Amino acid sequence: MDFDVLKRVLAALESRGVKYTIFGAVALNLHGLARATEDLDIFIAPEDLNIDRLKLALRDVYDDPEIEHITAGDLLGEYPAVEYNPPEGAFHIDILTRLGDAFTFADLEIERVPYDDLIVSVVSPRTLYKMKKDTVRPKDRIDADWLRHRFNLEHD
Amino acid sequence: MPVRKFRSIEEMKRDHPIWRRPGDPLLYRAMALVWEVARRTNPRRFPPGVHKYRSIQEMDRAQAQVLAEHIAALRRQRQGE
Repeated sequence: MDFDVLKRVLAALESRGVKYTIFGAVALNLHGLARATEDLDIFIAPEDLNIDRLKLALRDVYDDPEIEHITAGDLLGEYPAVEYNPPEGAFHIDILTRLGDAFTFADLEIERVPYDDLIVSVVSPRTLYKMKKDTVRPKDRIDADWLRHRFNLEHD
Repeated sequence: MPVRKFRSIEEMKRDHPIWRRPGDPLLYRAMALVWEVARRTNPRRFPPGVHKYRSIQEMDRAQAQVLAEHIAALRRQRQGE
């Protein structure tokens, strides 16, 4: 992950008015724990217009015709999880409109937090904990444990 | 920050990491530094384009496969050095 590249992506999401929220490792970073990651995970509101705004935001940063392959038909239909790898290939952006039966955009607690001199949307520590605690990846369970200690969260 | 070593994941979990408050300039310096070190020590190249999945589990499996191929390529490269 490149700090300045991520900042350009987030600034574009903000300036295009995308309804989004960051989860995953970047959210953990923004809540205060610096740790390495190779992806930006974003949950977006499942609306046609919002997906159009998302594509415009990505086109603001990347002159990449591949972005047109991100479609509302997919994200609102059979493919709620889309990975976009920009041309330089150094990191990826994972875009979700729903997460199984467990989470939809409307279920998420969202906070506005600083990213350097930007203000961005991030899931709350409690929501991030819930998203991470039952996953199979060991690093997610370690993250969940750290979140629980840091934010005095109860075991669910 | 000094190197810290642990005998197990459980021991590491007990030793809580350094948290900073959102908005603290040191947090953003730490993020930039950690990410830069990760990029330099383990450069990755993800196949450019748009990849679509029916669930996050399917996406996780595909990304785990790409990671496994990356690790195998690194091993081959190091064995050839």
